Amino acid sequence: MTLEAWILFALVLFCIGLYGVLSRRNLIAILIGVELMLNAVSVNALAFNHFLAPDPAIGQIFVLFIIGLAAAEAAIVLSIILTVYRQRGDINVYELTDLRG
Amino acid sequence: MMASGLVMLISVAGAVVAVGVKNIVHAIFGLGVSLAGLALAFLLLGTPFVASMQVLIYIGGITIAMVFAVMLSSMGKHESREGYRRQVLAAIVSVLFFAAMASVVVGTDFGALSPSGSGTLTPDELEAAWSIKAIGRALLDHYNVAFELLSVVLLLAIVGAITIAARHAQEPDPVFDEECDQ
Repeated sequence: MTLEAWILFALVLFCIGLYGVLSRRNLIAILIGVELMLNAVSVNALAFNHFLAPDPAIGQIFVLFIIGLAAAEAAIVLSIILTVYRQRGDINVYELTDLRG
Repeated sequence: MMASGLVMLISVAGAVVAVGVKNIVHAIFGLGVSLAGLALAFLLLGTPFVASMQVLIYIGGITIAMVFAVMLSSMGKHESREGYRRQVLAAIVSVLFFAAMASVVVGTDFGALSPSGSGTLTPDELEAAWSIKAIGRALLDHYNVAFELLSVVLLLAIVGAITIAARHAQEPDPVFDEECDQ
């Protein structure tokens, strides 16, 4: 597999995640889309590191940081979603218009 | 070559299920399949350590947490009804983004970007440079500050998640209690 193939694969994953974020109203579905986009970035970093800069393993460090931050983000987002659900009984983003001007 | 194609196919199929299915629990399982495929992709890219972290943290941690959040709160009962117009708009934006980025990727000569010309390392040297030893050395040496900051971030995230989720624990859950009464 060439570098182009891996980058196009990551791009396909990123666009699927983007579609998920834009098209769904359910907060958990949006979180799923964000996770897909983060993983596409991980593939990209590893592919570039593997093919273009094989000596320093910096791409792996990047991906480890991405995974760690994604775990923190998922924990916070899930607790916020649970709180919203407890207060409203719904997690449709179109119902969350309290701050609309 | 075959293996890479198969892994890409699995990941993309799981991702399509994850964004396309109405039932939120099925969508999470689709995400799990996609993440497992990506772990295999990381193996093919030569980094078994990151692949195992992907399995442990993403598949073993994040998707399980999502399944727990959905199943413990009866959120999955609410099927999300998406408007047709919204889906078409989202698809148009995604396809346009893909076309723009793909044209750039295809038009770039990546061989010229390589600083020393790719493939200068022998497989043995590559193995040594990408070993767990090298990662550990880099994490505790050159990226020490970022590494320690990440641990602080994770601690804050855990404390914050518990605080946010437990703040209203005493108040009754209207939907859940209603279902229990029935």
